[in-house]
Amino acid sequence: MIDAGERPNHVDGAAAPKPAAPGTPATLSLPRLIGWAAALLAAAGAVGGACTLVGIINLSDLTPQIWASRTMQMLTAGIVGASLAAGGLALQGLMRNPLAEPYILGISSGAGVGVMMGLAAAARLSLPAWASTPVLAFLGAMASCLAVYLVAQRHGRLDPYSLILSGVIVNIFNGAIMLAGNLYIDQYRIADFTYWAMGQLPDATPTSLLAVCGACVGAGWAVLLANSPAYNVLGLGDDVAASSGVSVHRLRLVTFGAVGVMTAAAVALAGPIGFLGLIVPHICRMAFGPDHRLGMIVTPLAGAIFLMIAETLCRSLGPALGLGRVPVGILTALAGGPFFIFLLRTRFRGAAA
Amino acid sequence: MNPQTDILQAADVAFAYRPDEPVLRGVSLTAASGRFTCLLGPNGSGKTTLLRCLMGQLAPSSGAITLDGRALRNYRPRELARVLAYVPQQPASSLAFSAGEIVLMGRYAHTGPLGLAGPGDLAVAREAMKMTDTLGFAARTLDELSAGEAQRVMIARALAQQPAVILLDEPTSHLDIRHQLNIYRMMRRLAHDWPMAVVCVSHDVNVAARLADELVLMRRGAVIASGTPDEVIRQDLLSQTYDIPVDLIATPDGGVPMVRAK
Repeated sequence: MIDAGERPNHVDGAAAPKPAAPGTPATLSLPRLIGWAAALLAAAGAVGGACTLVGIINLSDLTPQIWASRTMQMLTAGIVGASLAAGGLALQGLMRNPLAEPYILGISSGAGVGVMMGLAAAARLSLPAWASTPVLAFLGAMASCLAVYLVAQRHGRLDPYSLILSGVIVNIFNGAIMLAGNLYIDQYRIADFTYWAMGQLPDATPTSLLAVCGACVGAGWAVLLANSPAYNVLGLGDDVAASSGVSVHRLRLVTFGAVGVMTAAAVALAGPIGFLGLIVPHICRMAFGPDHRLGMIVTPLAGAIFLMIAETLCRSLGPALGLGRVPVGILTALAGGPFFIFLLRTRFRGAAA
Repeated sequence: MNPQTDILQAADVAFAYRPDEPVLRGVSLTAASGRFTCLLGPNGSGKTTLLRCLMGQLAPSSGAITLDGRALRNYRPRELARVLAYVPQQPASSLAFSAGEIVLMGRYAHTGPLGLAGPGDLAVAREAMKMTDTLGFAARTLDELSAGEAQRVMIARALAQQPAVILLDEPTSHLDIRHQLNIYRMMRRLAHDWPMAVVCVSHDVNVAARLADELVLMRRGAVIASGTPDEVIRQDLLSQTYDIPVDLIATPDGGVPMVRAK
């Protein structure tokens, strides 16, 4: 019975597991979790290495500085991708809503407002970037979380339609604040800010900022992983989850908090990158099945791989097509918009109301 | 009934969603191990609200609920889940998990950080599936099963919590008469053989009267009568409960008579 449990039953991408021997409840085992974690970590490393090379292969004078900057950029892409993908998976599990993700719910744009204010404050108060930006991004993200939650919840239950709509409203509101912010930003920095707002990985990220944001993402992810069995049980409904031992209210607070921290870190590093948190968890669910414990391990790694490849495409393909370097946030939005509509048409009907 | 086996007790429980509209007005109830209790009453009589109080989801505005000699409100969620389990009216339908995985989710309160099932958990899940006759489709997903099969999986999931009390909220309201009877027989067997206290909100007087050990009649947030089916299935009590004149019709096997609204 135990050894049968180690049989990977979702890896071939089939929706239903193959029939087990009668009387064998399919289960997730530690070796299987560790195996997939190692496999995807190796894949992420390989992709990161390959993307680093692709990004600089056509440069004639390779200096150690260019190597270092490109490696840092891939590391940033990995951290941002992992953060947004894990956040999307957690929000989808928490809300039993396949359309939930940090960007659509307005958490990213809230963090964006915070970062903008951080940039303004850093200029005036001469704070170091790593101190002001992530903290204000977090405050902005949490304010948006709170707004979306308060608008969408009724009697302690989250209505999926209200949730998406309140995300739209919060996004518009935050967008207006950011546009207004453009008026007050130093005109020499406005191009930088505009690229950042489109979701562009910067060429040079201060190491201290990267370290702080990486630590935030790691800590948030650990919290989400620890709660991943609860998202499984929550899929059976709030009452069943509560009677199974899940503190539903506490789970909501902890998840919003962790996703807020992770999103804030991602936005502080690379601007609001949309739809990655929607696309990657769905692809992983198709490939690895619905279990959030395995999902919380493979999804962030897949998100890291996804963003590293997308960033490299933007860097290499854009110039090849004569478009210049396209911010990666534009690519994910162009790919994610149609994907969102596809999910809306196919999956949303089945979402728990 | 031996008082030693009384595990869940509600004493004079009152509850209101809004202050001027009491839903429960001083309800007392005892669930004993080895006894299958059915709560009967018209829609809006407070059955489900009482069940939600008994499972700790709603806090009574007055009165006391004790579970295994301790106040219910003093239980932490995981602690409570090891003593008391719940089966909803209808399983969630949008799930891609297999029946076996869902039953193993019943081990949530018994397992460690990642909820990984050990050999003991697998044995408990297997036993729960055996008792509910669901082992045959352990690998099928919930939406591939019929409504009756899916509901049996949900009962197996509750059993995997190894509870002393199981609460069910109209678990057969979407089932045909054959599956309805199967579920009620299963609950009676579980109550007697496990043994545990089974409390079930029921919308069907006749199947409840036929298989329950104890019936509790509720109307407008109060208990009209409680006792064995023989004591409670009376024309006057049922007419009063459901606000409609009823006939009692003798059954061919000479058991508890059938109830029919006039």
